[in-house]
Amino acid sequence: MTPLQFEERYQAEWDELERALDAIGKRGPKLKKKQADTAPAGERIAELYRRACEHLALARARAYPTHITDRLDQLTADAHQVIYQRREFGIGRLRRLFAVEFPRAVREHALYVWIATAVFVLPTIILGVLVYHKPDLILSVVDAETAASFEHMYSDSADSIGRTRTASSDWTMFGFYIRNNIGVAFQCFASGLFAGVGSLFFLAFNGAYGGAIGGYLTERGLSSTFYSFVATHAAFELTAIALSGAAGLRIGHAMLAPGRHTRTQALVLAARESIVIVYGVTAMLLIAAGIEAFWSSARWVPNVVKYSVAAVCWIAVISYLTLQGRRAS
Amino acid sequence: MNNDALDTVVCAETPEGITIELRPAGLTSRFYAFLLDWLIRIAIIYGVAIAAALMGGLGAALILILLFALEWLYPVAFELSRWGATPGKRVMGLKVVMDSGLPITPAASFTRNLLRVADFLPLMYGFALASMLMRKDFKRLGDIAAATLVVYQPLPAPKIQLRDIEPLAPARPLAPQDQAAVIALAARASRMTPERLDELAALAAAVSGDAGRSGPQVTNRVLAVAQWLLGRRS
Repeated sequence: MTPLQFEERYQAEWDELERALDAIGKRGPKLKKKQADTAPAGERIAELYRRACEHLALARARAYPTHITDRLDQLTADAHQVIYQRREFGIGRLRRLFAVEFPRAVREHALYVWIATAVFVLPTIILGVLVYHKPDLILSVVDAETAASFEHMYSDSADSIGRTRTASSDWTMFGFYIRNNIGVAFQCFASGLFAGVGSLFFLAFNGAYGGAIGGYLTERGLSSTFYSFVATHAAFELTAIALSGAAGLRIGHAMLAPGRHTRTQALVLAARESIVIVYGVTAMLLIAAGIEAFWSSARWVPNVVKYSVAAVCWIAVISYLTLQGRRAS
Repeated sequence: MNNDALDTVVCAETPEGITIELRPAGLTSRFYAFLLDWLIRIAIIYGVAIAAALMGGLGAALILILLFALEWLYPVAFELSRWGATPGKRVMGLKVVMDSGLPITPAASFTRNLLRVADFLPLMYGFALASMLMRKDFKRLGDIAAATLVVYQPLPAPKIQLRDIEPLAPARPLAPQDQAAVIALAARASRMTPERLDELAALAAAVSGDAGRSGPQVTNRVLAVAQWLLGRRS
């Protein structure tokens, strides 16, 4: 069969498939409704697609002119995209993510979570205690001006706890927490790519920083404002940072010890699993930002109430991560 | 395909046993796309900043959240749209797809854009540059981990302009590759200068029995063979 005969014979089928893809909106602008109605759908598309694949294989094997193979290439590629596309959107998918997949992913990575928590918490405690006993050490973590501004933020004279001097309202701080904290979590995750070193560094650094500030403020006698401020959102924020570090360690470990896979395969697998944790981390930090900006900073809430709410939040977060989604298939 | 050494085409095989050819985009076009996206983001920030300045504390919050969104979510949102590319990439004719040629999944899009942080290190996208320059498929670290590719949107091939020449049977039977070469020459004929066309046609002159000769007549005879190969007989 010559190329022209081939083209003439199957042209109609290709046109039909093209029309179908146009109607779905995969190629170019959407067609008018009337045209869309006459376009084939469903099984017919699959059939036409398989036919086009056959024709492409034939055209390649017979070395037909490039305009035929190119057109079939394009046609099959577009149809392939439509037929094999994975739908990962929607409310159902989102609900499953938070009801099952995220807490389950955290439990599957328990070892990484424990390591990340240790790397995060130990420097916090060590520097906290050190700075508490030797307040001068704070200057090796931050400069004098920053230390003074922290002192101001948690002093009794500040109108809203934890607000920097330049911020004019709780809303500003909400924006700041979102940008800053989620950015830190993403950094903590992504830098794990380098054999986990980046994650370990950011975990330890953020832990040490927070510990130093905490120790310093405690020594200054501001513990009641500071701890009542931190307690509630810490349930979400500190947990989320540790989890993002754990996700980073997961990909770092895959790079370091790919096991039975090639390094690239191992990395792809690790990224696919750990990104679920990052989704959850993002949501937790959004919650934390809301609490931190509007609840933790509120001066009118008595400390007893803040600590009670904090206790509830901690229990909720921990039981969510340990119990949620165990029974779901 | 044996032309591994020269070509950067990536072949993805579908379950139907056909291969889909993906053409990964190199550093230059991706850099321009990045630059365009960067300018767009700057423009948005400035536009909103002027409006937000009038809104006080809420405005400042808006700016900060917008900065966050533009930094992290801008590429994700556009890659998951039906174009599969940010505006900058679209202008450059690029698109982000999975290694299999399928549309990018949300998880992959998040992965490749969060790992931008790692690509950015040690400074100015140093690791991304190194990775893209060292690999045949121009992946940056985020692309490797997400199993994605940045490819050129294929352009539809121009249909062969059939010149009005009497078809001519080839002087000897031709192998499929030779047929394809002659037909490809005819397809490109209208886009070349006559002199270059004559030169190329002289190389293929054996198909019309004119081996060793060249000139417009020979060119016409070679193109006539192409007509015959395409199936025309009169």
